[in-house]
Order: sequence, then structure tokens, then C-alpha cells
Amino acid sequence: MIFIPYLTENFLKYFLFLLICFFIFLFSGSTNAYSEKDLKKISSKLRCMTCQNQSIYDSDADFSKDIKKIIVQKLESGHTEQEIIKFLVQRYGEYIVFEPQMNIKNYFLWFFPFVILAISLIFLIFRIKKN
Amino acid sequence: MKKIVLIIPFILTLIISSFLLFYLLQNKDPKKPPSALLNEDVPKIKIPDLFDEKKFLTNIEFNDKLILVNFFASWCAPCKVEHPLFFKIKKDHPNLFIIGVDYKDPKNDALDYLKKDGNPYDFVGYDKQGLIGLEFGVFGLPETFLINKKGKIIYKHLGPLDKKIIENDIYPLLN
Repeated sequence: MIFIPYLTENFLKYFLFLLICFFIFLFSGSTNAYSEKDLKKISSKLRCMTCQNQSIYDSDADFSKDIKKIIVQKLESGHTEQEIIKFLVQRYGEYIVFEPQMNIKNYFLWFFPFVILAISLIFLIFRIKKN
Repeated sequence: MKKIVLIIPFILTLIISSFLLFYLLQNKDPKKPPSALLNEDVPKIKIPDLFDEKKFLTNIEFNDKLILVNFFASWCAPCKVEHPLFFKIKKDHPNLFIIGVDYKDPKNDALDYLKKDGNPYDFVGYDKQGLIGLEFGVFGLPETFLINKKGKIIYKHLGPLDKKIIENDIYPLLN
């Protein structure tokens, strides 16, 4: 009779131990595991250099498959999105990124439409006040 | 003052149109974007020899040499079109060190191709995984790079070379 509670108690301890081990295992690799979501997010921002209207994510070209492999390797080794994009831009140029990067060369692209808008608004206000 | 204010939008339009026209007249081909590595140092690489994988070519061998690097493959049709021209380049400029990099190609196919069509290269590297190509920003074959004696990439051509490109673009840089 005493034997059954003893077994139950040991079983519970053993089960608890296994449960803790399971959760440690579950979260131990998560810092370097990549997700499909991360791959999609990064590769959607990149242009396929052989099918230039498609993103790396959408394209089935060999080039795109190679770049996806590189992105996965870099994500698994802990690189950030910015580091991965910088790595690829260093080799393929800014053309590989769909969105122009924010640097001195591209300030004209980014800010000139707002400059034109501001000038137009000032001109419009000036005309309205005059009338 | 009133006239100046009225002319401003016209002047702005003229300035913007001039920029756009200047850019359009440069004949930039979107299929051939400029290399990110132009005027940059050649990437740090270690290329195994196609004929003996125990031998390697590294950046040390690039010092004080004028080098032409050509990425090719046995499965690449345009590569076969330009292949004979490398014999001509070698004959015209014997001091030029020509490196062929066999890119993502079965080794035996590459060896058979060079045996059949001849080997114009001073060194043939084997880039099985395409990692050397990645360092050079290669995305299509063939691609040819010219490296000066200071180890900087001074020229890149995407697509097959022809006599006109060699004589007009490459030879002036060799001289």
C-alpha cells in the first residue's frame, strides 16, 4: 500500500524533470533559429538581379535561390536584417535593394518631392493672400 | 516682383527636366547595373585550382599584377562565344595574368570543356558553391573583371566580350 504513493511521487518528480528539460530544449536554439517570416521580410526588400521586376522572395531564378540561402545562413548565424542587407549591397550595389537607401546620394530622391510640395504651398498661399 | 514669382515654377520645371534628360541620355542599361566593387579593393578570396584542389590562389598573388578575372561555366553558351577571344588577349598582352573561375559547374564538365575548347587561362579556379562569385557580385555569366596592380577593380563587364569591347574598353586600361 505504501508502495503506490512512492511510485506516484517518483513518477511526478520524473515527469517534472522531463518537462523542464523539454522547455530548456525548446528555447535553447531559438536565439539563432530563423523564421520564414524573417526570410520573407528581408528577401521581399531585395531585387532579383536576373528578373529585375521581381523580389528575391518571389523569384524562382537560381540567383534568387542562392541569395535566399545566404540570407538563411546569415540569420542562423545571428546577423541582423541591416547587416545582411549591407553585406549584399557591398557586393551587388544599391540596385539590389528596392527602396533607395538613405544616404547623401539619395537625399535628392527622398526629399525633393517634399521641397517641391513646400514651394508649391508657399506659392499657393501667396496667391490666395494676394487675391 | 510679380513677374519673378510667376517665372519660378517654370524655372523649377526646367531644372528638373534638365536633370531627367541628362540621366536618360547616359544610356544606362538596367540589365547591366554598375558594379558595387568598381574602384574598390579586390575581395579577399582563396580559390582552389580546378586541376588540383590542394592548390589555391589567394590575394597575395594579385600584388603588382594586372589581372583579368573571367567567370565562366561549361553550361554557359555566351561563355563559349567569348572563349576564343581570351587566346587573342593573351597573345596581345602576354604580361596580363588571366584567371578563369569555373562557376557552379560540375568539375568533369569543366575539365572536358577546357580540354575540348582549349585553356587560355593562366589559372583556373573552381567555384563550386558560387561563393567566389558572391564576393565579386556576380549574378550572371559570363562576367569579366579587370584588376590593376594596386589590387583595385577598375573594370567590369557583364555578358560576353567581343572584339569591340576588348579593343575599346579593356586594351586602353591595359596600356
